[in-house]
Amino acid sequence: MPKVYNWQLGREMDFPYEATRPERQFAMIFDTNKCIACQTCTVACKTTWTPGRGQEYMFWNNVETKPYGYYPLGWDVKILEKLGVQAMDDPVYQGKTLFDAAPAGEMILGYLPEDVDYAHPNIGEDDSTGLMSQGAHLTLPHMQWMFYLPRICNHCTYAACLSACPRQSIYKRKEDGIVLLDQSRCRGYRECVRACPYKKVYFNAQTRVSEKCIGCYPAVEGGRQTQCTTSCIGKIRIQGFLNAPDRVNPENPLDYLVFVRKLALPLYPQFGLEPNTYYIPPVHVPPAYLRQMFGWGVEAAIATYRQAAEDRTLLGALTLFGATPEIAHYFRVDGDWVYGYDAKQAEIVRVPLKEPVVIRELYDIKHKAYRTNIT
Amino acid sequence: MDRRRFLQLAATAGLGVVASPSELFGQYRVMAPVRVPNPLEAYPSREWERLYRDIYRHDRTFTFLCAPNDTHNCLLRGFVKNNVLVRIEPTYGYGKATDLSGNRASHRWDPRCCQKGLVLGRRLYGDRRVKGAFVRRGFKEWAERGFPRDPQTGRAPAELMKRGWDGFVRMPFPEAYALHARALDSIARFYSGEPGRRALLAQGYDPAMVAATEGSGVRTIKVRGGMAKLGVTRIVGTYRFGNMLALLDSHVRAVGPDKAAGASFWDSYSWHTDLPPGHPMVHGDQTSDFELFAAEHANLLLVWGMNWITTKMPDSHWMTEARLKGTKVVVVTVEYSATANKGDEVIVIRPGTDPAFALGLAQVIMKERRYDEAFVKRFTDLPRLVRLDTLTPLLAREVFPGHRDAPPNNWATVVKPGQAAPPTPLQNGIQIPEALREEFADFVVWDAGAGKPVAVRHGEVGEHFTRTGIDPALEGTFSVTLADGTTVQARPVFDLTRQYLDETLPPETTSKITWAPAEAIVALARDIASHGGKTLFAVGMGPNQFFNNDLKDRAIFLVAALTGSIGQMGGNVGSYAGNYRLSMFSGVPRYAAEDPFQPQLAADGPVAVKSYGRYESLHYYAAGEVIQREGQKQFTTGGHVPTPTKAIWLTNSNSQIANTKYHYNVVFNTLPRQECVAINEWWWSGSCEYADIVYGVDSWMELKYPDMTASNTNPFVQVFPRTPLRRNFGTVSDMDTYAGVAAALATITGDRRFRDYWKFVTDNRVEVYLQRIIDGSATVKGYDIRDLEALAAQGIPALMNTRTYPRTFAWEQVHESKPWYTKTGRLEFYRGEPEFIEAGENLIVYREPVDSTFYDPNVIVARAHPAIRPMTPEAYGFDRAKRDWSGRQGRNVVLTPEALLASQHPLLPGGYRSVFHTPKYRHGSHTTPIDTDIMSNFFGPFGDMYRRDKRSPHVGEAYLDLNPEDARALGVNDGDYVWVDGDPADTPFKGWQDPARAAEYHVARLLCRARYYPGTPRGIMRMWHNGYMATPGSVRGHESRPDGLAKNPDTNYQAFFRYGSHQSLTRSWLKPTHQTNSLVTRKHFGHEVTKGFQADVHCVTGAPREAMCRVLRAEAGGIGGAGVWRPVTLGLRPTNESPAMRVYLAGGYART
Repeated sequence: MPKVYNWQLGREMDFPYEATRPERQFAMIFDTNKCIACQTCTVACKTTWTPGRGQEYMFWNNVETKPYGYYPLGWDVKILEKLGVQAMDDPVYQGKTLFDAAPAGEMILGYLPEDVDYAHPNIGEDDSTGLMSQGAHLTLPHMQWMFYLPRICNHCTYAACLSACPRQSIYKRKEDGIVLLDQSRCRGYRECVRACPYKKVYFNAQTRVSEKCIGCYPAVEGGRQTQCTTSCIGKIRIQGFLNAPDRVNPENPLDYLVFVRKLALPLYPQFGLEPNTYYIPPVHVPPAYLRQMFGWGVEAAIATYRQAAEDRTLLGALTLFGATPEIAHYFRVDGDWVYGYDAKQAEIVRVPLKEPVVIRELYDIKHKAYRTNIT
Repeated sequence: MDRRRFLQLAATAGLGVVASPSELFGQYRVMAPVRVPNPLEAYPSREWERLYRDIYRHDRTFTFLCAPNDTHNCLLRGFVKNNVLVRIEPTYGYGKATDLSGNRASHRWDPRCCQKGLVLGRRLYGDRRVKGAFVRRGFKEWAERGFPRDPQTGRAPAELMKRGWDGFVRMPFPEAYALHARALDSIARFYSGEPGRRALLAQGYDPAMVAATEGSGVRTIKVRGGMAKLGVTRIVGTYRFGNMLALLDSHVRAVGPDKAAGASFWDSYSWHTDLPPGHPMVHGDQTSDFELFAAEHANLLLVWGMNWITTKMPDSHWMTEARLKGTKVVVVTVEYSATANKGDEVIVIRPGTDPAFALGLAQVIMKERRYDEAFVKRFTDLPRLVRLDTLTPLLAREVFPGHRDAPPNNWATVVKPGQAAPPTPLQNGIQIPEALREEFADFVVWDAGAGKPVAVRHGEVGEHFTRTGIDPALEGTFSVTLADGTTVQARPVFDLTRQYLDETLPPETTSKITWAPAEAIVALARDIASHGGKTLFAVGMGPNQFFNNDLKDRAIFLVAALTGSIGQMGGNVGSYAGNYRLSMFSGVPRYAAEDPFQPQLAADGPVAVKSYGRYESLHYYAAGEVIQREGQKQFTTGGHVPTPTKAIWLTNSNSQIANTKYHYNVVFNTLPRQECVAINEWWWSGSCEYADIVYGVDSWMELKYPDMTASNTNPFVQVFPRTPLRRNFGTVSDMDTYAGVAAALATITGDRRFRDYWKFVTDNRVEVYLQRIIDGSATVKGYDIRDLEALAAQGIPALMNTRTYPRTFAWEQVHESKPWYTKTGRLEFYRGEPEFIEAGENLIVYREPVDSTFYDPNVIVARAHPAIRPMTPEAYGFDRAKRDWSGRQGRNVVLTPEALLASQHPLLPGGYRSVFHTPKYRHGSHTTPIDTDIMSNFFGPFGDMYRRDKRSPHVGEAYLDLNPEDARALGVNDGDYVWVDGDPADTPFKGWQDPARAAEYHVARLLCRARYYPGTPRGIMRMWHNGYMATPGSVRGHESRPDGLAKNPDTNYQAFFRYGSHQSLTRSWLKPTHQTNSLVTRKHFGHEVTKGFQADVHCVTGAPREAMCRVLRAEAGGIGGAGVWRPVTLGLRPTNESPAMRVYLAGGYART
């Protein structure tokens, strides 16, 4: 089996196909410290792409409360249990990937959820760890905690679904790295559903084929961010493109946050898929849990986030989240403003790091009105 | 051979490790003659990708404004394909909004939308649309029989008033209007004059309520436009209609415009218990607030009883971004709430003890002398002297012989009798009617420098006070010789407050009462003091829905004022519940109260304004059409007294009949006394189930007339643009319904002014009314409605032209030394009016919650104090042992902290041992749109689109959150169904014990799922406020439909409960200090002040979050009631974790 380099693990690993990176990689960053679990992203996705028959249970995008929320039920607990305890105490991952752990004759370690596992898409909402006592004073990290984890398909560099498809009807687009499932070729064997550890491929019982997040390519092809991103009122998301790890451009906001500042981390990197959605970890959650989820570098990322107030470039990149529906390929901070630019370096948006204060004249002579705050 | 079998064979055959996908998948090649060498590199046939591009494509878009009562209001873009709305997106137009001077908002305001708005497409075409006008069968018969009545009492026949159990017939709108008009005319006539008075008394109404009609039957007609600010013509039009009914009165009673009475108006902001009633007690205005984007100016952001991230969703990023930039966020909460996970610190307290917690903070700040002395002396009444004999504040005219109060000279004017205040845009300062001049008397402080009492004038605040050179004493007892020669002892408010706090609420005691750890109280108090002027208090609906809410407001303001965090961009107090401040459009009376006797028919002619309506609080209705009396005491007096209710017209409101506190008592005991109930709705709500007439009106997506709104939390003025979407369901505009009924009244009376009053509706020129409002509004005068609508159609709002951006309450008072709307012009922390002294609340004290407590309810907690001398129950003529709903409300009993903690709620021995509270949730704006399938599915943990468990009322359902240990003690498993009962004396409705009322009780008793919720403390149970209640029709559906849906087979009404509702346990509570006739407040619409009752400013607020409950296990949680709920069996639920789950929670799958 070919050896491919997984930068998130800092090492090579086995994958059934030769490594070849797309020209640029569709990617998304989520600031979990801002996510409010409103599910607006979920509904934006749902109403755009999956409102039909056979798709009732299907949420390409979902938000779950960690640690007791899961869609489908128990997905990460189950696959972590199957994979077992792995060493994650070094920037170079020493443990097994899901490919490494594949049972004999299988491409990857996986499992097929039961239909009923998808029944309660918002189970665990707001459920925290521990038991609340009568009165409490919580400080950082919270002694009792929960946080919100939004999820879409990771459009993995080494996609498990793609590797497992017996009909080879799943592919990665060279131009943007979006992983697609060919609706005309799929025959619904559900090997991709079994293989994807994130459980982001869904079987449609009406059409008898599987479906998954398409990275909103009809929007992305036109320079617009995905539906889940442009509707995100928590302004927790930015979607754009990541360069290959050896061609990092610090003016690209995603490159800057992922590669330069190492603030945004992959979801369960130990699975070995090199997923391409990245998470700024929640600062109030105990690091042990976060390391299991986001891998090496969690503590450093939290420290960086806590110091963003004194770091204008970082603050600028983070203020760009949700400022425009268009894809920002480049950004620049100048004074109190951050600017976003498209692929041709044309300005698409500018926003202030702090909203300016306006004090109006008490008496508006032109319109003959006293402009009081109370009226 | 299936693939797994093949692989097993391959493995046993020694193939072992598979070398390549080609080998592995070789078996499938016969079915797939395509070979993809490397799908990471290339894919042969990508034509199929057109599929999703086609889905994404649309024919056209249009913009509409989504405006439920969620306080945001979002312009949204609808995408239309084949003339069907297929999806909705934000407009990204907020960053393009400008004001009249060219200031512009930034794109940090974008995007604005939420999940509830994006599902509206499914609601637009949903099966609960009201498709035309509907009339209840019994009501129709009553009308057709000529409105017959009982000869003795005048009651309408009970058998025709079976709302909720009856059916409906569809009727053309004009016929429904005519029927409606005939009913109103009949009711107005029957209840007018002496015969009307006798009938009302015969029907058992309180004589004070009957007297409040002043002989006018029209006064028994009640109208309510729910949260009228959400449609300044469409919803406010309900009040305009009520104002117009003065014309009807003039015909019925043959009186002129001088004597005519309009309809009675129900309150909105106070009805929703959104009003923080203590705010006007401190500063005289309805509410202090700041637009939420002020968060990033604060050093310390205190999010208090406010689930910001679930109820202020599009503005949550201002909080998280402030935190990113260094603002410390402290969350004061009663559970590990959604907002708690965004806090740097979280303090969990016992529900309803917020006043004690705030007073505990103040105690530390005062005791440790960490207060801002200059602010306290210059801007508050804390230096003011209070007489210890009468407990009234000392007035200058009492002390100084011959003293005459100086005329107000700082941003205040006296309005002479017979004169009118100028139009609001031209009012520069407080307008004091001559009749109230005395209230603004000069007061007295002890000048420490001169060692004598001195007078301080109303306008001497801030710099003006500094210039007097007075150094007022804050502490001490002073002998003051009065003008009449007698000597009295007097102490500053500060000193009296300090004594109460030091003796009653030091940190250890506050901790025992509130559950907050003492170290948390001390640390937070010091934190606030160290961020003097830079602490933002964002206070939410949680503590406001308790009976002691005014004390909570006064106490929090005390903490803020002590530390100077008032009126600053990053330091202020804000109350956040519901939308309010219709007076941002201070020109509204030019529309709502246009004189119906002389309607202006020229578009730009002058408008005569005369208000004929009479406001009242809906809480008296919700309590069973009663006022507050106990012993010999009548607590509800003066302008607070409501009239009897005979006809109701509600628009944009599901909160009065369906989602009302004490719902089942309202619908089963109170509503049958009404004779005509009309409702405008675009979605068949619970209220429609109980209506006589339901008018199907346009949704926001189909509006054919423009309208306008704004919010208190953001700076935008927003116009509802008319939309090009066709009306699919035969609906009309709300405006058409008013004009339609008015036209029918014109026919009945022969008076064309009814019709003229709505001329610009029938002419399709509603923008005339909107422009009149704009021209009269201080914030928006200068805009042209046509421009605003054109921008809105592009998804762009405009900015309000208030003094500051962000709009910050009291910015002018603090920065420009202007008076507040109080008697002293200062922030007031002492209330010397007789009602407050009687209640023992002249000083800010702590009262236990009126029901949600384990201890003696509603007692004042205090040690002996010279200024706490309330009227006792005995003095009022009732026994202090009377602790039922009625007795408890006016019961002034003082207990020491120790005695309180040793006391017991009267219901505890009966097993009613848990606090039941009903906060608002992220997946509903009230009930909108929680019964839309996608929303229901996400409404908590029990959603299931395929309804595998047919007991489920819908594809999601309401549930009770319990502490897991409490649940275990009750024998309740996670996911079980439970019965939840409130006070058996009178909930779910009075008389439920009567066997003849078993059918009603069957509908009303709450049955719901139980969820193990580890974030709530023991003894505290939560249920979301947003569910659609079970109705007779939904119960019939649930029990008779093959699918088991709790859906009315006749109306399609969909309940979120199998039985009962979250309002099965709540009641409408009445508090004496909310009902004074002496408090001075700013009137709506301008800077005029008034005294006593003022709807939405000074009136009762109901305490809907208070109830004690008993929980009994009803059914097992497994599908169909068999076994345990599946997620529990898998070990994936809190406190039922599998071994793997326990490893997972500890992060044990990563070895580090």
